[in-house]
Amino acid sequence: MRDLQNLSGGGLRSARLLAPLAFACLVTAYPFAVSDYLIDIGFFFGIYALLGLSLNIVLGEVGLFDLGHAGFYAIGAYVTAVLNTRYQVPVLVLMPVSCLAAALFAYLVCSPIIHLKGDYLCIVTIGMGEIVRLALINNPFDLTGGPNGVFGIDFPRVGNLLVVDSSIEYYFLVWITVGVSIAGLVSLQHSRIGRAWNCIREDAVAAQATGINVRAYKLLAFVLGAALAGAAGNIYASKLMCVSPESFTFWESCLMFCIVLIGGMGSIPGVIVGAAFISLFPEIFRPFAMYRMLVFGSIMIVMMMVRPGGFWPRKRGAVTLRPLMEDTADGAV
Amino acid sequence: MMKIVKYVLVAGALVFLASPTLSAADKEPVVIGLQGPITGAWAYEGQMAKQACEVAADLINKKGGILGGRKIVIKVEDDAGEPKTGALAAQKFVGQKDVVAVVSTYGSSVCEPASNIYEKFKKVNIGYGVTAVRLTERGFKYFFRTCGRDDSQGKFFAEAVPKKFKARRIAIMHDNTAFGKGLAEDTKRALEPMTKANKVEIVYFDAITPGEKDYKVPLTKMRETKPDVWYYTGYYAEAALLVSQARDIGITCPFVGGNAAINDEFVKIAGLNVAKGCYMTNEPLPGDLPYKEAREFLAAYKAKFGDIPSSPWPIYAADAVNIIAYAIDKTKSTDSDKIASFLRDKVDRVPGITGPIGFTAQGDREGVPFYLYVVNNEGKIVISK
Amino acid sequence: MHLVLEQIINGLTIGSFYALIALGYSMVYGVLKLINFAHGDFFAMGSYIGYTVLVFLVAGATVSMGPWAGMGLAVLTAGVSLMAVGIAVERAAYRPVYRAGRLPAVVSALGASIFLQNVIMLVWGPRYQAYPADLIPAARIHFGDLTVTMLQLVILALSFALMSALYYVIQKTTFGAAVRATAHDRNTAALMGINFNRVIVFIFTLGPALGAVAGVMVGMYYRQISFTMGWNYGLKAFTATILGGIGNLPGAMFGGLILGVLEMLGAAYISAAWKDVFVFLILILVLIVRPTGLFGERTAEKV
Repeated sequence: MRDLQNLSGGGLRSARLLAPLAFACLVTAYPFAVSDYLIDIGFFFGIYALLGLSLNIVLGEVGLFDLGHAGFYAIGAYVTAVLNTRYQVPVLVLMPVSCLAAALFAYLVCSPIIHLKGDYLCIVTIGMGEIVRLALINNPFDLTGGPNGVFGIDFPRVGNLLVVDSSIEYYFLVWITVGVSIAGLVSLQHSRIGRAWNCIREDAVAAQATGINVRAYKLLAFVLGAALAGAAGNIYASKLMCVSPESFTFWESCLMFCIVLIGGMGSIPGVIVGAAFISLFPEIFRPFAMYRMLVFGSIMIVMMMVRPGGFWPRKRGAVTLRPLMEDTADGAV
Repeated sequence: MMKIVKYVLVAGALVFLASPTLSAADKEPVVIGLQGPITGAWAYEGQMAKQACEVAADLINKKGGILGGRKIVIKVEDDAGEPKTGALAAQKFVGQKDVVAVVSTYGSSVCEPASNIYEKFKKVNIGYGVTAVRLTERGFKYFFRTCGRDDSQGKFFAEAVPKKFKARRIAIMHDNTAFGKGLAEDTKRALEPMTKANKVEIVYFDAITPGEKDYKVPLTKMRETKPDVWYYTGYYAEAALLVSQARDIGITCPFVGGNAAINDEFVKIAGLNVAKGCYMTNEPLPGDLPYKEAREFLAAYKAKFGDIPSSPWPIYAADAVNIIAYAIDKTKSTDSDKIASFLRDKVDRVPGITGPIGFTAQGDREGVPFYLYVVNNEGKIVISK
Repeated sequence: MHLVLEQIINGLTIGSFYALIALGYSMVYGVLKLINFAHGDFFAMGSYIGYTVLVFLVAGATVSMGPWAGMGLAVLTAGVSLMAVGIAVERAAYRPVYRAGRLPAVVSALGASIFLQNVIMLVWGPRYQAYPADLIPAARIHFGDLTVTMLQLVILALSFALMSALYYVIQKTTFGAAVRATAHDRNTAALMGINFNRVIVFIFTLGPALGAVAGVMVGMYYRQISFTMGWNYGLKAFTATILGGIGNLPGAMFGGLILGVLEMLGAAYISAAWKDVFVFLILILVLIVRPTGLFGERTAEKV
């Protein structure tokens, strides 16, 4: 694995600088060349990219197992759905509201559990995600519409001047959000915060010893990750015009987890590749009909054999891959 | 070299442009889409619907197809029982000009985003398992359903049950679950015109707590109201206990359960003595349909797949195919607007597998088939005569 | 009072399902530090194999067999078949990624889970399958007001027997010592001449077999099985594992039983719809107070 990293580091350095630019051009040009169906696939690719980026903060940067990320996503989507359909608050105004709601939820839920180690934290996040989903199904205070969900969500609009209601407009809405997030996350990676996060991931005890407030930084990762997932929820809700609990299952959390790992932990281009894999492959496999998930599962396994460090591993502040049986100081990673 | 490439491209483009016009004159098949859960937790319903649609198409094709000999082909897209995948499946269908109309889909929350897309791109779509009331209340032009709505069971009860039992005093009991409570409230609403006209009276309307084992307290309360018939809208486990305990304390009026209340398990738990003579309101099971079309369809289905469908929903999908084919044939057109207005205005009591088909102005099925079933002396659940 | 007792017995019954499944999670975790997401699907597959055996017995019916013999045969066949499946999955999906680290193994496990789930769907069909009622013991026993089915008693007895046997094997036999040593420190164990691969094969034989037994019992108890049920039971059993302290076998057993009882009591006295919320809330509260689970000290020492 190390050899592979060295290889790609030397020969492809210039490619790595060019790649984002080329990708941005491709993303911009793509919807003008293809059908609405393909644009919509691009849209969901963008949603998964956003979700992958958001989980990457928690899992990739800090190394915290979070298998309940769909819970934050759900909070964002339902806040948008309920406030829009009940009080006609415009969807675009609700984007920051959704972010804040998901972030606040993350802060409240994670504060008491942030000290848990690796797999114990993992199950608590699973439990949190399940609690959110079950609560949505049980329709507390008649807010969430039970198993049928909330429907009739408006388009994102600025008065009647700009109404996002076509596939291509939604596509740009989500990819602009992805672009802005990437810009923010890249600068975060290079900041004091990013370095502190990576330090915690590699050795939490050492991080504590050098004066990093481990608890606060971990919480910050959860709060930021949740906020971004909330934004994804907002866009998702307005695109589908309805939300229902089956969009936010444990399986959805697992998919996000796979996005980060298939791409390469902590690597932003990796997340994009991972999101492409998760969102495009099931569509490509449509002709297989009922065999398609079988194929999908096998490919996940093969992926991990061929590129265990992810498709596009991170170079700077790389993640140390430890053999399976080894305990780590933190029990994380 | 460049020139050759150019020629090839131009020639290719010409063939591409010409092909639809050329073959349309020919006997090109008519494509009807099916969007359903082929994978995922509801795969069972999706795969059976696929089989049912294929059998329906086969039957039409065997009789010479439509539009003077064109065959029907079913094209399937998986929605995995999930809204997002459903939206993509719908988007895929609307991009295909040859797909005339779509049978879509099993789940209400999957249907919601998908039907938005069909509506926007003007493609007729007919739901086969989507019972949420709100779906047809959006004023959509291209959305229909061959199945009933969540409130059609309550309506059926109001129309059929008081008449059958000559009942004036009706007791309604539910279990506080979303389903049970919903059905109870729909029934109450459906009875309203009759209560206003003073023909019947709802003497008891209350909930029990599921999971308990002793219901003597609410039952005693109900006994004091002297009901002529008693409707329980919850699930079978409680229904069995309720009936046994009710008989113990001397409630003798007929018991009618909703479609979740009576099944073989109910008979087993309650015991034959208590269970026989208990009624239930239910969608007709495929094997119970009395129509000629149903016999023909089920025979063909059994010949192809070995057994008849075990769930009520796939036959609604087959009927959706039938009615789309009928509309295309009658309008001599594959134009969405023509088909949609034909379905809405001209389709009336067209014979189908699930009975006469017609649509309301909203796109709901007219005269949704519901039956009153009864537990007979052998403990089998049969249609009540 | 007898109502509470009845709920507790119901809870212990489903708790013993969770416990048997949880043991598989816990063993794999103890040695490999891997959350084996495919484990729930081992359980579901065992349930379907048991179903096939029973259907076959009913159809054959040449030898008239009592329900207990049928149950025994179903449990045995499912257990043995799943040993083979467990070893095959370990070879194909896990062994190639051990060296690479824990996280690739998690993705691989998720992939294996999707794969197995869809294999079940393709082989047995996507519909719910019902265990043949004729071969399910129906006897009931009354203790005063309290009614217990014979099946429940057998389920409880069989689970306790299996759990004790496993405990004995792990604690008292040489091979069990090898497993414990490997779980404790793989490299030192290897230096002592313990064959790591054999230990892994061992846990991937026993874990899925126990899950398969639970699968057959669930099929008999609820009479209805579906190809997606592995997820739900797997998630609950994993919760039980963590509740007891991951990697700790008695912890996994008690975690399962406690979880089952909590679930039933929650359903009876709080609300059936909110029972899983209640279960997860209890789990979170336990972990806040005891960050390594109820019986988790042993794993804590290792860190």
